[in-house]
Amino acid sequence: MADIDGEDPKEYRWETGYEKTWEAIKEDDDGLLDGAIAEIIQKAKRKRQAQKTQQNRLGMMRHLYIVLDCSESMTVPDLKPTRMLCTIKLLEIFIEEFFDQNPISQLGLIVLKGKRAEKLTELTGTSKLHLKALEGVSKIPLTSEPSLQNGLDLAMKALKVVPSHASREILIIMGSLTTCDPVDINSTINALKADNIRCSVISLSAEIHVCRHLTQQTDGSYGAVLDDAHFRDQLLAHVDPPPAAQTQENSLIKMGFPHAKTDGGKDPPLSMCMCHIENTEEPSKLTSGGYHCPQCFSKYCELPVECQTCGLTLVSAPHLARSYHHLFPVQHFTELEFNGQAANCYACQKPLTEAMDKNVYRCEKCAQVYCIDCDIFIHETLHTCVGCNTGNSNRN
Amino acid sequence: MNKQQDVESNKFSLLVIVLDTNPSQRIVRQNAQLLTQCVDAIIAFGNAHLMQCSQNKLAVLSCHHHATDFLYPLPGKQLDVRQIDGQYEVFSLVEKTVKQRLSHIITNSPKLNTPCESILAGSMAMALCYISRIQRNAAAGVKMHSRILVVTGSNECASQYMTYMNVFFTAQKLGITIDVCAMDKTMSLLQQGCDITGGQYLRLTQLDGLLQYLLWVFLPDPQMRQKLVLPPATKVDYRAACFCHRELIDIGYVCSVCLSIFCKFSPICTTCHTVFKIPGPMPIKPKKKKKV
Ligand SMILES: [Zn+2]
Ligand SMILES: [Zn+2]
Ligand SMILES: [Zn+2]
Ligand SMILES: [Zn+2]
Ligand SMILES: [Zn+2]
Ligand SMILES: [Zn+2]
Repeated sequence: MADIDGEDPKEYRWETGYEKTWEAIKEDDDGLLDGAIAEIIQKAKRKRQAQKTQQNRLGMMRHLYIVLDCSESMTVPDLKPTRMLCTIKLLEIFIEEFFDQNPISQLGLIVLKGKRAEKLTELTGTSKLHLKALEGVSKIPLTSEPSLQNGLDLAMKALKVVPSHASREILIIMGSLTTCDPVDINSTINALKADNIRCSVISLSAEIHVCRHLTQQTDGSYGAVLDDAHFRDQLLAHVDPPPAAQTQENSLIKMGFPHAKTDGGKDPPLSMCMCHIENTEEPSKLTSGGYHCPQCFSKYCELPVECQTCGLTLVSAPHLARSYHHLFPVQHFTELEFNGQAANCYACQKPLTEAMDKNVYRCEKCAQVYCIDCDIFIHETLHTCVGCNTGNSNRN
Repeated sequence: MNKQQDVESNKFSLLVIVLDTNPSQRIVRQNAQLLTQCVDAIIAFGNAHLMQCSQNKLAVLSCHHHATDFLYPLPGKQLDVRQIDGQYEVFSLVEKTVKQRLSHIITNSPKLNTPCESILAGSMAMALCYISRIQRNAAAGVKMHSRILVVTGSNECASQYMTYMNVFFTAQKLGITIDVCAMDKTMSLLQQGCDITGGQYLRLTQLDGLLQYLLWVFLPDPQMRQKLVLPPATKVDYRAACFCHRELIDIGYVCSVCLSIFCKFSPICTTCHTVFKIPGPMPIKPKKKKKV
């Protein structure tokens, strides 16, 4: 991830180094290069992990607009089968992961069609709507040049009104190397900056100067992709919440925690849910289950949801718990050359050998040693150090 | 085992049993013999699982008061078991290994002066790492289904909440079922784990016939269970517990920075030390009559 933090110019130059590699990789596309890219991805991952431990304030309530280029450049088949189809496939994964990891956040989709920008979905908190809209994207005729400015303006309008304790973000996926804008784009960039809207760009072609400038001005990240695996990694990096903007206001937000408990074994009375009441495709049915708003008793089929009657945000405790790992990440493990520190990996029990394990990874808190697979699994999926949680601290 | 019976050799099931061996458990303190009974039941149950299909795999972990250890299999070379009747040598290997390891752990464990909680969430995290290794090593095209069975007589510990949740979500993501057999108190957190991962929660009120219960409720794989008559699922309470008092609440206040939950409005978050802006409109209907 080419994050423009400016604090570490060396890293920053290394990160951008691959824009030149990109040209080279295009020329001789053989199996060996996959390994090189895999290594770039792996390094970027470990770097992101190391950064995680240092952040403590994150923008947990995210409002993110994805702006997708639908110009002619998206027909290029350098990503398989085409840039567009590859992007749609990866966005499906991204949307699911986004809501899995950011339970009380909202997302919206904007497409750049011809020179216009069109809102496909409004900001909402469930994946279904976006996934459905995304299905239609493959049918959009891909022609002419996009207008980045029109896309930014449309997203900005919608993000301006979100509460000040929420984080405001735009993620642009650009295939085109050029943008066709009505007026000077710098005025839009300044407005975005003034409204604290973080803009990030993933370019499917090469570096675009104006996009890099945009990300630098708004504290976003900039990346150009090497292949589909690299694209996937860059896109999924945006699943993690960004650090909170300094100007972001902090507040305590009132929320409701409905429980699906029945009273004394009796079946609750049949009632209509609010979420399906205006849905003509699947109209609301009389049912006995569901979640009731503890404030006004409106019923909903699914959580999380914002109560349509009283405005209370309704969630379940595990929803919130899904994002705690962002706030309390597992400490970065130290990479050590293997020289018999342990007979086997503390977590998965794999016997460690000189021949198979070049490096091992040690948690500095509990001093347990792990194999590389467990290092990745613990930091990316489990979010729990096994050694720190298996009672060694109680040992006298 | 009859090899011809395995029509589908491209499919197997891994069962990981997490056995709570902490001497602090009330039922163990009352009856020292109980642990031996449990271990015998677990071994018989594990062998029944292995008998279902020759490809099936088994692992047993002990969650002791000071550490979590694998009782079976051993990380490297397995114990030497003299073939008794040829066919069932793996069964005696399970029994011998589990008993030998457990007695080693018990004799070498530090003295327990005051009862302490069982760190089950961490043991389950270790089980997940093991499962994901077996998964990585499984040959391409082989379908593997994994589950974790927790057998415990411990009390609930809210202090492990975060670890439990991380374990449940990871299991859910990887399609691993979590089953729980609670031998003493109700374990509402573990109950949530069963619900999230589609597993079975069973609380026993008496321990006679433990093995029969295990075989009845937990031996069938999750797909088969739908066709069986099993104890009815109880409604799981997913209300939030406030961070300040650990009490279940219907309506609470959530910190916009760290998502900690509080039952009352306070000007500063005790988890992340964020100071909240009090003036200005609250996002939801401020009640003008009441002063906070
Ligand atoms: Zn509904
Ligand atoms: Zn309501
Ligand atoms: Zn390992
Ligand atoms: Zn540790
Ligand atoms: Zn409280
Ligand atoms: Zn907080």
